[in-house]
Amino acid sequence: MRSVRLQADDSSPVHPYLRLFSGVRAGAMVSHSLALPMICFTTLWALVGVVAPFLVPKGPNRGVIVTSLILTAVCCYLFWLVAILAQANPLFGPQLKNETIWYLRYFWE
Amino acid sequence: MDSLLRGEELCLAQLFLQSGSAYDCISELGELGLVEFRDLNPSVNAFQRKHVNEIKNCEEMERILGELASTLSFCCNHRVSVCLQEQLQRLEVELGEVTRNKEKLQKNLLELREYTHMLRITHSFVQRTSEVSYEEFPFLEKDTVMDYSSMQRLGAKLGFISGLIQRAKIEAFERMLWRVCKGYTILSYAEVDEYLEDPETGEPSKSIVFLISYWGEQIGQKVKKISDCYHCHLYPYPTNNDERNDVVEGLKTRIQDLHTVLHRTEDYLRQVLMKASESVYTWVIQVKKIKAIYYILNLCSLDVTNKCLIAEVWCPVNDIANLRRALEEGSRKSGATVPSFVNRIPTSDTPPSLIRTNKFTSGFQGIVDAYGVGNYREVNPAPFTIITFPFLFAVMFGDLGHGLIMALFAFWMVLYENNRKLKNTRNEIWNTFFEGRYIILMMGLFSIYTGLIYNDCFSKSLNIFGSGWSVKAIFNHYGGFKVSLYQSNLPIIWNLATNRLTFLNSYKMKMSVIIGIIHMSFGVILSTYNHLHFRKKHNLYLVFLPELLFLLCLFGYLVFMIFYKWLVFSAKDSREAPSILIHFINMFLMQGDGVPPLYPGQTGLQIFLVVIAVLSVPVLLLGKPIYLNWLHNGSQRLGMYRGYERVRRNSEEELYLMRANDMEEGSSHNEFLHQAIHTIEYCLGCVSNTASYLRLWALSLAHAQLSDVLWAMVMRVGLRMDTRLGVLFLVPVFSLFAVLTVSILLVMEGLSAFLHALRLHWVEFQNKFYSGTGVKFSPFSFSLLPSSFEHDGLL
Repeated sequence: MRSVRLQADDSSPVHPYLRLFSGVRAGAMVSHSLALPMICFTTLWALVGVVAPFLVPKGPNRGVIVTSLILTAVCCYLFWLVAILAQANPLFGPQLKNETIWYLRYFWE
Repeated sequence: MDSLLRGEELCLAQLFLQSGSAYDCISELGELGLVEFRDLNPSVNAFQRKHVNEIKNCEEMERILGELASTLSFCCNHRVSVCLQEQLQRLEVELGEVTRNKEKLQKNLLELREYTHMLRITHSFVQRTSEVSYEEFPFLEKDTVMDYSSMQRLGAKLGFISGLIQRAKIEAFERMLWRVCKGYTILSYAEVDEYLEDPETGEPSKSIVFLISYWGEQIGQKVKKISDCYHCHLYPYPTNNDERNDVVEGLKTRIQDLHTVLHRTEDYLRQVLMKASESVYTWVIQVKKIKAIYYILNLCSLDVTNKCLIAEVWCPVNDIANLRRALEEGSRKSGATVPSFVNRIPTSDTPPSLIRTNKFTSGFQGIVDAYGVGNYREVNPAPFTIITFPFLFAVMFGDLGHGLIMALFAFWMVLYENNRKLKNTRNEIWNTFFEGRYIILMMGLFSIYTGLIYNDCFSKSLNIFGSGWSVKAIFNHYGGFKVSLYQSNLPIIWNLATNRLTFLNSYKMKMSVIIGIIHMSFGVILSTYNHLHFRKKHNLYLVFLPELLFLLCLFGYLVFMIFYKWLVFSAKDSREAPSILIHFINMFLMQGDGVPPLYPGQTGLQIFLVVIAVLSVPVLLLGKPIYLNWLHNGSQRLGMYRGYERVRRNSEEELYLMRANDMEEGSSHNEFLHQAIHTIEYCLGCVSNTASYLRLWALSLAHAQLSDVLWAMVMRVGLRMDTRLGVLFLVPVFSLFAVLTVSILLVMEGLSAFLHALRLHWVEFQNKFYSGTGVKFSPFSFSLLPSSFEHDGLL
């Protein structure tokens, strides 16, 4: 059974949704198409970790809640960042069995 | 928040209690649960204390109440009763009498019933054997019974012994009779139909009625002795029919009378118990309180004038006003003329640590305290544990579906947390889960998040954002790749790939190391709080700074290299991508020649970092002892000034700190040794703890593989069949899948990940800043008294 290894290629449009962004260069791929998720998640966790602490009402538990919010933002953001950076420039791709490739070709494209 | 971060400030206070109102004041304090009493008579043993008699009385009352409660089958609340002790004693005497009477009556009844049975059954013997007739011993006919006179005429003395014996013993009895009397006795026996209660053990047992006929006086003695041996109940055998009938009649009436009397006795007993049951619960609580108060009174000491009791308590500084109010209330209740008052005194002893928690934080504080209660006013890891513990758990557990189930379970417990039945069960395991419901809820929520990022839901991936890998390109044999616009988790295609683990392993190992180093740096940074609070600024430069430099120069650089490699190297140069591990090792060995550098100037920077790290070790090792030694030498010259300064200070915390400083200086050898151990522990610990964080990778891999195996072996078997039979087959397959998921993946893996996350906190995180050798503040409070009754399951 032959398995095929995916390699990086920068000129084939992939997903129907992505036809707008065809032809982006490999080197610039990191900054360009990582940008949107980067911005989204950074703002999300920044909201949680920086803005929300000011919105917590005053009470006996304010300190605990503020600490929790900041820690949550830091941990979750870090976790997501590691996950996305690990696959931003992959050194190798997934190896699929032939049947899987036929099946996916049929269903996804 | 200050309380949770650091613990409350406690002070030592002296209570001056007037003798008359001491009891009421302490009762008030017990209701409020504010303060912890210190033992002012530590050298006095328990039997010589002042109130030992009162405590003995209380224990006597507790014993009576225990017996009372054990004869009750229910109890309920009612109004308070007075003169507790006399009441209880009277009650006990009454109950004792009634119970004894009842037992005697029951024994009587048993005897009468046995006699009745015996008469009935031997009558049937006699009737049965009347057909056989012997020449020498004219036997009984229907209407003429054994006639002693006719026997005597023959010169033979035929005697009878009748009675009951337990069924288990009858064969041995028979054999013994045969051996001893050698055939001069005839034994006939029959079993009694109904079960009779054995008076000694109270258990129903089967008895056998026997009739021994013998002739000869001596044989009679022997038979009697043997039957005594076997604990037989002997009853007089009637000589003729009339006598037998009379006896039977008499017995019947007597049995009836006894039944009535017994019935009445039981009714009376039940009434007495019912009356007592109304107040037994209150009595128990009262006796507990009284005993506790006397115990505390034993801890106090009398002052010189013998009119006033002095107690020393640890009291939170914020609660001194409440303490005053409680004392006033107590004095008012006892109608004392002279009020009791409280006086704060300075001390150099370390107070116990008090950390106030609410229902949410108490779980997390509990798991921190399980390792060790913090020293007085040192930084408490609990507020940070609220988030980092569930987070580390979730990194190891990372499954969307399992996390969802866990979160729902915890949410259900939280919603019903006020349900009394859930709160007060005796099941230890359930109580453990219930106490930790908020922890489980947080763990579940974080697991949902990490499950989303790992893209793992019951071992299947979700196609939320579309895969970044182009399949069309693969099909056309040259592969294509584009990071999807919205890609923010592991793409689904990895789940179908055969080299999935290669990618995942690399990703998860690096992630574990990154998380670990950041967690440990956070711990080191937290130690600055301690140094600043305890006014040991020198620690900041001599301990914290070298520690942080060592950690960051070596392992922080490792993290930097990981991120650098991720950002800079892509598939284009995958052939020349460097191995970070080799670079790291080369950095230590100061060789850089074999491999091409990651970036220009790498060797220079690495040498610089290694030099800083290596230099920080002797600073860590020697800095603090040398500095303290210098201080100590210097202070000997300035001794007088320091004493003067001490008097002026009125904050006792500073007093405590200064005392601590003085004690430290006194032993510089100790200090040096201590610091050497700390240095070695820290430096070696840095390496080993970083490696220890790799368990985050290992457990998450194990979980993913386990759930994959469960799916492949169980669920897929059921989904593969597609006939109508398959639909039916799917039901038990799914139930098996569900049971195994819950028991193996949720419970077992959950406990395992819980334990490892806990270990990471206790060892790797906390040994950077936490000492945990303190004593917990245990206030005198009635609600916290242990109850011996609860152990017996009576309340």
